[in-house]
Amino acid sequence: MLLNFDRLGAWKWILLGITGLTAAFLILPILFIAALSFGSSQWLIFPPPGWTLKWYAMFFADPRWLEAAGTSFYIAAIVTVLSVLLGLVASFGLVRGRFIGKEGLRALFLTPMILPVVVLAVALYAFFLRIGLNGTVTGFVIAHLVVALPFSILSITNALEGFDKSIEDAAVLCGASPLEAKLRVTLPSISHGLFSAAVFSFLTSWDEVVLAIFMASPTLQTLPVKIWATLRQDLTPVIAAASTLLIVITIALMLLVALLRKGLKS
Amino acid sequence: MTFLQIRGLRKDYGIVTAVRDVNLTVERGEFMTFLGPSGSGKSTTLYILAGFENPTVGDILLNGDSLIATPSHKRNIGMVFQRYTLFPHLSVGENIAFPLKVRRLPKAEIDAKVAKMLKLVRLEGFEDRKPAQMSGGQQQRVALARALAYDPPVLLMDEPLSALDKKLREEIQHEIRRIHQETEVTILYVTHDQEEALRLSDRIAVFSRGVIDQIGTGPELYANPATRFVAEFVGDSDFVDCRVLSAQNGRADIAIGSGLTIRGVPMHGRAAAGGAAALMLRPERLSLARGSVGQGSANLAATVTDITFLGSNIHVAAAAETGEALSVRLPFGHEAASSLSRGDTVSLGFDPASAHVFSA
Repeated sequence: MLLNFDRLGAWKWILLGITGLTAAFLILPILFIAALSFGSSQWLIFPPPGWTLKWYAMFFADPRWLEAAGTSFYIAAIVTVLSVLLGLVASFGLVRGRFIGKEGLRALFLTPMILPVVVLAVALYAFFLRIGLNGTVTGFVIAHLVVALPFSILSITNALEGFDKSIEDAAVLCGASPLEAKLRVTLPSISHGLFSAAVFSFLTSWDEVVLAIFMASPTLQTLPVKIWATLRQDLTPVIAAASTLLIVITIALMLLVALLRKGLKS
Repeated sequence: MTFLQIRGLRKDYGIVTAVRDVNLTVERGEFMTFLGPSGSGKSTTLYILAGFENPTVGDILLNGDSLIATPSHKRNIGMVFQRYTLFPHLSVGENIAFPLKVRRLPKAEIDAKVAKMLKLVRLEGFEDRKPAQMSGGQQQRVALARALAYDPPVLLMDEPLSALDKKLREEIQHEIRRIHQETEVTILYVTHDQEEALRLSDRIAVFSRGVIDQIGTGPELYANPATRFVAEFVGDSDFVDCRVLSAQNGRADIAIGSGLTIRGVPMHGRAAAGGAAALMLRPERLSLARGSVGQGSANLAATVTDITFLGSNIHVAAAAETGEALSVRLPFGHEAASSLSRGDTVSLGFDPASAHVFSA
């Protein structure tokens, strides 16, 4: 290696310090929220004067919170399935297809990643107002699908580009029809890409708040929208508990991806 | 009836013609190699046989029936690819079983066949390994077992050994020969390596720029190349510019440089008297004598430029009077070679009947 870490002397400690500060900068807000959710103070005092599980009990006792969490999960699950399916067929076209404008189309599919979400939200809101989709599960799913698809397409095209088409050709010559070869050989071989696509699609929908605020109605709210709305009405540590649960599920899914990648490599 | 027949095959990609006028018949059980440099059309021809490409013109007949309208997966043809194509998520045994499962054979039959194929490629005990745990040579042997598991009438091999190192390549060439003899399957083999082609094949089709220059056994191609390209591609050869004095009945009298005339050299291609041509000489067919031997009928005067000892052979590089580089291969201990040094004038002799003239 160009830079030998062990021979850096004093620089080594400076680098370690910078790394530590960066990590703290990223992690402290999350730890802070988690700590508050277990704190006994109703006014979110830090450091907490005592420890309690009361706010979690309130969260699980309140049907409105549970309903919001259920809605979030339901919408995220539908978005995940559709995003992986659409991402898969789009990726086959983008990787295997031979047509003019392929690179342009690929760039177009990724624009929702760089487009300001609020612009997208306003546009979708105005459009859904005309066709009556605001405040419906369908509206939520379409809105979240728009932002989830780029992640799905990115993961699956990556996996498909790393997969040698000759392997699929070999399956075809072995007697499998082109569709059967794709189902029995290509899809299992790119399963890591499909899994990443599923997790990122789920997470994109699961903690998305801007589009969700525009799509929500008093009777249909996702967990982030419920947190946002509650935050504006009254400041209760139940918000901290809900946020912590949101984060825990996100971290759990990310860990699962990391573990699976490690498993694939070994 | 002919077993496999390729008739007037042509493939165009836009304005580029990849192959044209390919006519070929293959007998049952034959080992036929397509030899040629990259871009010569040999792989395109193989891919048309596999059904991955459709010919622009032409037909392929297997036992008299056209294959063109049959999709790849129904052709029942085996193929081993240049790259490793084992299914990465399946074990070795499951890979070999794949074509049999697709054909919905009973499990007992599949298990028996997988065991038989593993024995054929000498990989018994490897059935539970994953492809990633196998060496490149082992993976290609499994690929061979998978391609033969369903007893295809024809096995296509597209440079299957090009990713392996030389020693392993020779080892697997022996395996392929043995397996060909044991199974009596008809093999169409693509390679750019002349040594591999000569070692394996019953007959070789030499491809050059989209056409077959010549089809024949290794010795036929070596002794009687039809074109300068074949002469260059099969065996070592050097060329000396010459002029055709007269040509008839496939023999030509030629003149080299200012004074030397050589009579009765086998002639390929057409050249009018006075036309430019090239005389082909094989390094192992030249004799070497010290000094100049005067104006003999088939002796070229040359100056030694380099001498290389190669174990059983001594390789002498020389420059002909007319400037062309020539090489001579002599057995170790050859009398004239023992005291040879750079700059010496030597006389290179050859039998006109074993040389060839190609019109330029």
